[in-house]
Amino acid sequence: MNIESTTPVAPNDSESQRPVPEAIRQGASATTESTQNSQRRIRRSKTFYGICVSVSFLSIVVLAVLLISIAVQGRSRLTPTLLTGAHSTSEPASSGMYPAIIGSLSICAVCALSALPLGIGTAIFLEEFQPTNPWLRRLHGFLNLNISNLAGVPSIVYGLLGLSLFVFMFNAFGQIKVNESSGTELMGVERYYQILTLAGGGDSVLVRQTDLALPTITITEPIEAVDRDGNTFRLEVWDPKSGTPKPKDPATQHRTVRLGQSGGAYAKTSWYYFRLPFGRSFLAAGLTLSLVILPIVIIAAQEALRSVSPSLREASYGLGATKWQTVRNVSLPAAIPGIMTGAILAMGRAIGEAAPILVVLGATVAKNSGPQNLMDTVVTMPVLIFHWAGDPQVTYQQLAAAAIIVLLLVLLLMNSLAIYLRQKIRVE
Amino acid sequence: MIPEQTQPIRLAIDMPQSASATNAPTTDTSAPSPADASQSAEELCIEISHFNAWYGSFQAIHDLSLDIRRNQVTAFIGPSGCGKSTLLRWINRMNDIVPTAHSNGTLRIHDLDVLSPSTDVVHLRRQVGMVFQKPNPFPKTIYENVAFGPRLHLKLRRGELDELVEWSLRKAAVWDEVKDRLNAPALGLSGGQQQRLCIARAIAVGPEILLMDEPCSALDPASTLAIEDLIYELREQYTIVMVTHNMQQASRCSDRTAFFFEGRLVESGPTDDVFTKPQQKRTDDYVRGRFG
Repeated sequence: MNIESTTPVAPNDSESQRPVPEAIRQGASATTESTQNSQRRIRRSKTFYGICVSVSFLSIVVLAVLLISIAVQGRSRLTPTLLTGAHSTSEPASSGMYPAIIGSLSICAVCALSALPLGIGTAIFLEEFQPTNPWLRRLHGFLNLNISNLAGVPSIVYGLLGLSLFVFMFNAFGQIKVNESSGTELMGVERYYQILTLAGGGDSVLVRQTDLALPTITITEPIEAVDRDGNTFRLEVWDPKSGTPKPKDPATQHRTVRLGQSGGAYAKTSWYYFRLPFGRSFLAAGLTLSLVILPIVIIAAQEALRSVSPSLREASYGLGATKWQTVRNVSLPAAIPGIMTGAILAMGRAIGEAAPILVVLGATVAKNSGPQNLMDTVVTMPVLIFHWAGDPQVTYQQLAAAAIIVLLLVLLLMNSLAIYLRQKIRVE
Repeated sequence: MIPEQTQPIRLAIDMPQSASATNAPTTDTSAPSPADASQSAEELCIEISHFNAWYGSFQAIHDLSLDIRRNQVTAFIGPSGCGKSTLLRWINRMNDIVPTAHSNGTLRIHDLDVLSPSTDVVHLRRQVGMVFQKPNPFPKTIYENVAFGPRLHLKLRRGELDELVEWSLRKAAVWDEVKDRLNAPALGLSGGQQQRLCIARAIAVGPEILLMDEPCSALDPASTLAIEDLIYELREQYTIVMVTHNMQQASRCSDRTAFFFEGRLVESGPTDDVFTKPQQKRTDDYVRGRFG
């Protein structure tokens, strides 16, 4: 680098005396031969270019054939009913995938909320922190080595892991109860007795359950009750033997029961109803899927952080920034576009996974709404497609094709949203 | 050339005695007068003795002793791999980032033991700013680049921050070129402007010492000249340690020069002496361009 030397550097003697290799002298003289040689190499380069173009066309053609065949098959079923209806065994024509769309999106949300912070956090640990503690350093090396192995594990294995880890929780909290109304659920559940036989017929009313040990209640005297709309009122009793008359007025009839009527235990769950173990719930399914995509997220985030120029980090440290300040203000902002790209790919994988969902939630598709609470089961798009595609009825097969189109559209929508966000972040 | 400015917000670490560092900025507006500067010209700032440094098992610096004086420009010269950058990066403990780097010996800044594990590295680096070989502004606006350092350490009001940013940019002789586009991306500046922006960024946290690791090696001659002029100006308020491969640069803008070879200090002294009557044969060979 010494450009301004006052005395010129003496030429290296051994360099100047080295003889010119035979091949170079020959090549320089044999002009026609070297021209032929270069012509041949140019031809070879062009051939290679042609192969590359045709290979990439091949993959596009395969994709196009797939899309066209699906579109042709599913075209007749791309109706509003497909988006609003639910699966129906008796009427294939009015079947839809509304619960599956909601189900897939809610599983995806759980998955993103759990996998992204965990994955990005792990990547920051692996890339930004050089632990000095020998145990942490060993963990660091072990993780670094094994994350890519984890990415190669088949998703059904994660499904089985999720089944024992989230669905049953290794039975640490006892077996899953068949009758959920009689357990000791943790939160978000209100217990009532449901009384169906009112004097005037009509809707049932609820009486608050005070003793969890009693599965039924027998009404012997007036008691406080709740109607369907959540209003409390006093439930009256009529007794033919003692001469208390049955009320005539319909409004009163709805608030009166005959003496000795009984009500069964009934659990009313809120949206935040939560218990351990998770059982076959969408929460368990989302967490299982987050295990599937966690390695992908970690690797993508690691790559993104690694591509941040070390000189930026040095600049930040040089100004007296702490590790966290550097990660927060320099590394993460520069890595966000890359992390987003990885996250998009991972979410695309999560929304299309069928195997772990089949293991965790089973193959049932009979549900006509999205999840009502955290412990509710859901139908997902891949499972519904799997179910429909395997049905011998032609209508269901057309529905499966239409559902595939919807699934692809949802994926496309998610990807474009993420790309839009990424561009926006990059501009800022 | 540069309008004489005083730092509007003194950042609490001018004197080593205040090293216990309260983060509260005091608004002391008195500039160190030139008289002060000449008085303290020979005052010791960085004291290095029997210093050894390793990367893993490779010893990069062997038993090195050197004194660096206050308000002077000290240039480290020597062929590649002679340990000059390593030493520079130990002065503000930038080598902490390298897991295999370790050292022993004494390295003191006034009475602060730099190498001690209990030294507050964050505080040290505020006191010892660094400018790197390649201009490395953050991919943010010009304003945000300069405000980055102060924001790490202090809670400043918008007005104070504006004032500090302007002061730093003026000090780094880049204000006139960027004042109309403070909110433009810093990466849109030319290489020389970027490097001066990096210097502004470094002095915005109020350091006492500036370390410059080949600050001009990625720049064209005109920008190099601008940076050299700047280094000359900055000497009045900062102690500057500069690594350079360019011996003309060392002779143009440094007060003292230290020549390193294979991890050892061969010779150090006033720049004129080192270049015109070196004591060692190897120094003589190097400054005459016989090797390296």
